[in-house]
Amino acid sequence: MSGVPELLVLRLLTDREMYGYEIVKAVRLVTGEAIGLGEGVIYPVLHWLEESGAVKAKRKSVNGRERVYYTVTTKGRKRLEHLSNEWQRVSGGVNSALGDPGGATGNA
Amino acid sequence: MPESRFEALKLELLQGGVAPVYIARTLLELEEHYTDLEQDALAAGLSREEAERSALAALGSERQIAAAVLARPELREWSVRYPRFAYCVRSATTIGLIPGMPVMFCIEHRPELTRWAAAVMAAATFIGAILALLDWMIVQI
Repeated sequence: MSGVPELLVLRLLTDREMYGYEIVKAVRLVTGEAIGLGEGVIYPVLHWLEESGAVKAKRKSVNGRERVYYTVTTKGRKRLEHLSNEWQRVSGGVNSALGDPGGATGNA
Repeated sequence: MPESRFEALKLELLQGGVAPVYIARTLLELEEHYTDLEQDALAAGLSREEAERSALAALGSERQIAAAVLARPELREWSVRYPRFAYCVRSATTIGLIPGMPVMFCIEHRPELTRWAAAVMAAATFIGAILALLDWMIVQI
């Protein structure tokens, strides 16, 4: 599951800028609540993505609340593409094994 | 919300060498997230107490959050990430300060040093004059 939060966050941020709480809600929605994390854990992921240049953070004051909005950068889009390809490759392999577990070893 | 809600987390992150900028950001965002969760829970009909409990449970424990932050070395201070480099910088600074300190001291205490130098020169001139006078007197005798 390593890299999954990063992949989901980058994918969601390609559509629009969001703040942490919005991202968590969107992750729950798009994954059908299949991925359950402590919600506070999203912030180290966001900060790390920012540190690596994949996202940019901007503070905004909205209705008296201080929000930190995140947007994906060009570097982040490239990283998303790479992670998506990796994920497709791994999940394709796992699906294939689940569909035909003996096929790969010739024991079926 | 009291400011001390995430005090234990703040302390753990500080002790772990996390950069202050990320500690401040984490605390700010967690506070905002907590408020959002609490407001949603209240809107869903929960009592204040239940809303607080549910918001904290959804955020995850402070230990869990701290572990997630500390698992990312990129979020730590540069002196923690590169201890040898930090050691070299500190040593070079110290070595640079040793010869620089007397100069800095002189610049800082310029009026006192000027008075002291003038006094020493006056004393030397006076003693020199006395010695020259004594020398002349000895020659005369």
